Amino acid sequence: MSVANNKDVIVCEGVKKWFGDFQALKGIDAVVKEQEVVVVIGPSGSGKSTFIRCINRLEAHQEGTIIVDGIELTNDVRNIDKIRSEVGMVFQQFNLFPHLTILDNISLAPLWVRKQPRREAEEEAMALLERVGIPEQADKFPGQLSGGQQQRVAIARALAMKPKIMLFDEPTSALDPEMIKEVLDVMKELARSGMTMIVVTHEMGFAREVADRVLFFDYGLVVEEGTPAHFFDNPQHDRTKLFLSQIL
Amino acid sequence: MLKWLAQVGVLALVLLFFRILGGEAAKNFARSDISFGFDWLGDPPGFSIREGIDLQPNSGIRALAVGGLNTLRVAFSGIIAATILGTIIGVARLSKNFIVNKLAGFYIETIRNVPLLLQMFFWQVLLMAQSSLTEGDVGSRIFSVSNKGVASIWVFPSTGFWPWFLIFLGGVYLSRKVARKRRTYQEDTGENGHPGLFGILTLLGIALVGWLVHPLLGFLSILWDGIGDLIGAIPAATVSLLIAGAAIVAAVVWIKRFLDSKRTPAGLGKLTDDDIFRMIFAGVSALFVVWIAFKVGGAVIAKPDGTDASVAAVLRDSFANIFYWFGDKFTGEAGSPLSVSKPAIELRGTGGFVQYADTGILATVPFFSVWIAVTLYTASFIAEIIRGGILAVAKGQTEASQALGLRRGQYLRLVILPQAFRIILPPLGNQYLNLAKNTSLGTAVAFGEIVAVGATLINQTGQSLPIVIVWMAFYLILSLSLSGVVNYYNRRMALVER
Amino acid sequence: MTDHLAPLNLEELAPEKPPSGPVLWIKENLASTWISAILSILAIALTAFSFRGAVQWLFAADRRWDAVIANMKLLAVQSYPEAQMMRVWVSVGIVFVLIAAILAWNRIGGKIAPRKLSKVLLTIGITLLLVGLLMPAGSEKWETLGNSLLWKIGGVLLLGIGVALTFLPDERRKAETIPIMGLVAVALFGIIGFLKTATMAFPIAGATLPEDPAERLFEPTRIADSTANPWTAIILAAMVTFVVMSWLRSRSSGDGASIKRVIISLIVASFPVIFLVILRDPAIDEDMLVKFVVTGAVFAILGAVAVRWFGAPGAGESRRALASIVTVLAFIMLTFPGILPIPGAVTPFTEPFLFRLLFLTFALFSLAAPTFGGAGSALTRYVIGWVGTAVVITYTIIIVTTESTVVVPGNFFIGGLGITFLLSITAISLSFPLGVLLALGRTSSMPLFRMMSTAYIELVRGVPLITWLIVAFVMLPVTLPPGIELSGIMRALIFMTLFSAAYLAENVRGGLQSIGKGQAEAAQALGLSTLQMTVFITLPQALRAVIPALVGQVIAIFKDTSLVTIVGLFDFLHIARAAINQQSRPYNFIGVFLEPLLFAAAVYWIFTFTVSRMSLRLEKKLGVGER
Ligand SMILES: Nc1ncnc2c1ncn2[C@@H]1O[C@H](COP(=O)(O)OP(=O)(O)OP(=O)(O)O)[C@@H](O)[C@H]1O
Ligand SMILES: [Mg+2]
Repeated sequence: MSVANNKDVIVCEGVKKWFGDFQALKGIDAVVKEQEVVVVIGPSGSGKSTFIRCINRLEAHQEGTIIVDGIELTNDVRNIDKIRSEVGMVFQQFNLFPHLTILDNISLAPLWVRKQPRREAEEEAMALLERVGIPEQADKFPGQLSGGQQQRVAIARALAMKPKIMLFDEPTSALDPEMIKEVLDVMKELARSGMTMIVVTHEMGFAREVADRVLFFDYGLVVEEGTPAHFFDNPQHDRTKLFLSQIL
Repeated sequence: MLKWLAQVGVLALVLLFFRILGGEAAKNFARSDISFGFDWLGDPPGFSIREGIDLQPNSGIRALAVGGLNTLRVAFSGIIAATILGTIIGVARLSKNFIVNKLAGFYIETIRNVPLLLQMFFWQVLLMAQSSLTEGDVGSRIFSVSNKGVASIWVFPSTGFWPWFLIFLGGVYLSRKVARKRRTYQEDTGENGHPGLFGILTLLGIALVGWLVHPLLGFLSILWDGIGDLIGAIPAATVSLLIAGAAIVAAVVWIKRFLDSKRTPAGLGKLTDDDIFRMIFAGVSALFVVWIAFKVGGAVIAKPDGTDASVAAVLRDSFANIFYWFGDKFTGEAGSPLSVSKPAIELRGTGGFVQYADTGILATVPFFSVWIAVTLYTASFIAEIIRGGILAVAKGQTEASQALGLRRGQYLRLVILPQAFRIILPPLGNQYLNLAKNTSLGTAVAFGEIVAVGATLINQTGQSLPIVIVWMAFYLILSLSLSGVVNYYNRRMALVER
Repeated sequence: MTDHLAPLNLEELAPEKPPSGPVLWIKENLASTWISAILSILAIALTAFSFRGAVQWLFAADRRWDAVIANMKLLAVQSYPEAQMMRVWVSVGIVFVLIAAILAWNRIGGKIAPRKLSKVLLTIGITLLLVGLLMPAGSEKWETLGNSLLWKIGGVLLLGIGVALTFLPDERRKAETIPIMGLVAVALFGIIGFLKTATMAFPIAGATLPEDPAERLFEPTRIADSTANPWTAIILAAMVTFVVMSWLRSRSSGDGASIKRVIISLIVASFPVIFLVILRDPAIDEDMLVKFVVTGAVFAILGAVAVRWFGAPGAGESRRALASIVTVLAFIMLTFPGILPIPGAVTPFTEPFLFRLLFLTFALFSLAAPTFGGAGSALTRYVIGWVGTAVVITYTIIIVTTESTVVVPGNFFIGGLGITFLLSITAISLSFPLGVLLALGRTSSMPLFRMMSTAYIELVRGVPLITWLIVAFVMLPVTLPPGIELSGIMRALIFMTLFSAAYLAENVRGGLQSIGKGQAEAAQALGLSTLQMTVFITLPQALRAVIPALVGQVIAIFKDTSLVTIVGLFDFLHIARAAINQQSRPYNFIGVFLEPLLFAAAVYWIFTFTVSRMSLRLEKKLGVGER
């Protein structure tokens, strides 16, 4: 399955981002094609989270352009709303709404953003819970679920908006080892179903198996990019070699 | 064993300590011919109160009631105003707008670092320095500030208000039904059902119709009077029995529920002595109520005309009176239920005494100084609580909502506020309580609230201990009802945790 | 297919500057949305309008600031004798020097970057300039302070320095190099010097100075030498202390905790010394003195032997039981003098009250001896502790019971701000141990103790402070046995202490409950007794956790002392509100309400604001609330 000829859904050119005086992104150029799975890796503080958070504008970049699905991200609120309902995101800390049941967590956005009928929204929510494997938890509250279950709910919640693109920011790093697998399985299934995904992760096995392309971040730059095979077995850059030697 | 000895020993010492103080006090009082009791409650207090429902109370208890109502009045309006102002400032403190943010910070830091009493004096002085009313001012105004106070236009209920209000309440009920219908419609079909709009239109329509037809409800007057007669006819003994029965049932139910809540699948959980104390307390309170229902009367609220003055009878009569009062209000007269009343300045007496007439709403200088001071002061604390509460909701909640595409208004309402409210509520309740207690500083600016009235009564009668007891009872009831409300909401909002 | 490769030396990638500039700043901070922009305009208009109004009001010629200036002494200490004012200055000096010492030793102050300094200077400069520009006509009455030219010059000067600092090279601007305390010193002397030169260089045009020296008292900028000189000395002393201590600190190795403890104890001890000895100046009578000293000495020596016996290792339960009985006896003896007469009352060398007090203290020491004494050197230290306590108590009682040489009209030797501080400091320090005891009681596993503490706390907190003060002034006098009379100050003090103890107890309880079970289990595993565990493990942690709440309580008490004006004490607020506007001679201040009140507000504000800011810093430093 090659995605090389698909159309570009995310195009970043020279994206720069500062926090105060500190420059977190120093000019990122990256393209993501439709149905492509891109894995972003890099040392801590290298700007991975900042980068994917810029894509749905949880952070505003200051220079450069980001175009998602043909819409450029600017201060225009309409564009932001449109893009956010097309881009789903999963966080390291799950960020479920603790005061709502699992079902309400998932159906909240379809109800209020997509203005779906409640019955329909809840049926779809149940279907999604089915898909991530925990339909029996629908009426519980997030505080009553294990970490792995919570993260799967978070994925379901993002999927409920029927996004074209999914962003994952280290979805497994707050989880115990035995829970990591259940979340990764869901993500693999998602990738196989043809979802466009950007995944920040330290799970090298997942990257090797699922990724179409790997981006290596350091110092706020894309230091190296390539196919998993190329990247893991034949890295070009000294930084990459060093990084891989440390984690593998 | 040693532990119990120590406890009992200390308790005995404490009791002995109070016993000695009390004995000494008794000696002193005997010397000056004062004996503590509650007779003064019925005696004319011999002073007048500057504002309130009754300026010349004819008994001690009535004077205290006037003071207590004044406290409640300023506390209640202060709580409302402080909540609104505090919320605005707390939100402003979170604003990304540099100036708005800094102004809110300036307000908070200025107000809460200056003693409240000083602020009260400040407002008092400021108002007293306003120009006095002269003959040139006579006439009606919308708003007027003078050294007599702050007067403003106000809306009062007038003829036909209560019949109309009844219709209005019906309207509220109906409009909520309509709104819910529209919401289900929206949820079922996905089309916008405009639930809010429909609800408001229904309410407005019914209120308007009610405005025109409320005289038709005049016939209800008979019904109210009838209920009043019915209640009035119940013998006092029956009322006593009912009250006693209710108290006992309540206590039993409470204890049962309490035990149930301690029950685990493995049988009754271990009770701490706290739990046992609580149950004993519930039982004792019930017995206390029973005792009051049957025994108390006569001496406390003696009625000159010799009618039954037991608690049960008084309770029954006041209950009946409520219905008679309603009966009076349902006259069937036509007229606007609400009337707008403007403050007027008039010349009173022959000497040329320029004063505010009884129209509009007038905040006297003492009332206004107390009200504005406690409002501004408490608002600065409430603002910090609100800010803290919103900040304490994890940042991730906002981000998750944004990532889902929720708008700012939506996620504030659906995600952030429900969680923040939970954190805000307990300290907010505390602030309300503080505000209520702080109104007692009004005694320094001659505001006739319960402490000021009580202090005057102490001066007049020397009955310090009973009046202190009355104060305690008053504030205790106040704080219990406030914390009751807070606890109720707190329990309703508790998070389910693993 | 590597199609992207960054330069190799990533670390040396030249840093780029973020896009910045005033336009961008305004866009982000004042006009990020339309609503925000409108709000900004409204807020700016409001600020400008109020600022202008405030300046015009404050400097208007018909203000009566003279009522404040002429009454500075009254506000500070009421009618403390002029001849003994030196005592007040010495007290203030001691406090300042000790504060300077602790600041220096804790390295508080630190350094700031020129960039931050420049921001501060720009803000102050603009404010000064605006004040100068908005000064109302007739402000010349206030001489130097009312001279708009001086404000403008000062403003421009600061603005100039602020702007100049922005031209420093980038890395120097961001480096934290400027010591804050140095800045404070420069600022203090800068202001004084500026005003001094200004008054000389700019004889104010059009201002006619009154010839009569009595009226010159009102000239705000000509502070009388009797005030200026002591202040100069105090500030200099504080600065010298700061510099010396900083130097010592920089040379000392280790964390300097012991010196810190010494300074803090000095600060704590300085308050009773200042109030009881320096300000009160007791006139000690020699006949009395013999009695006190004999009583004290006998107790200290015999008590030391006895405490040692009670605390001896392996003493066993019987001695403990004996100590308990002695404690109960001592307690009854102290509280109910009628019931148990003192055996030694017959000797001419015994002072009965001191005897009872020392006896109770001794009993408590004996009771706790096995718990805290331990063996060997610990026991010796404990016994020394007892002797020290006995000496301090004896001395305090001597001081307190002797007449003061400071004779003033009215019944108390000091008033005004003096009383406000006396009340708040004493109430806070006395209510602290009581509050901790109550909190321990409320969280204890012993039901009677818990009930009593809970009842006390809830009862006290149930009604407002003012009702307790009324109780203190109406009921307390009649409940005291004949022969014991309490002055108004003492009554207020007792009830403020009892009141704030209840609130402190709730704060401490919060801390106690925040400590996990693990700590207690660990302590028990070490074999500590319950009491030892509480004192050595639980309590210190709990107190640390509630420092912010405790500071909040301190501020609350300080503000609450103002309530004593309602029951007629001459505290700071009372003088500002009710005393000054009664004066008709030598100057007529009748009807002057607002100015003294505002001045009082400013003074209260300065103290509370400073304390709350310090507590914020402390909180950050201790990392309270973070885990
Ligand atoms: N809100 C912020 N304010 C200031 N600095 C920030 C902020 N968010 C991120 N940074 C800084 O930006 C840099 C990049 O952060 P980012 O979170 O993107 O790193 P990351 O690659 O995701 O690291 P990790 O693997 O630890 O999650 C870090 O140095 C971080 O300190
Ligand atoms: Mg990250």
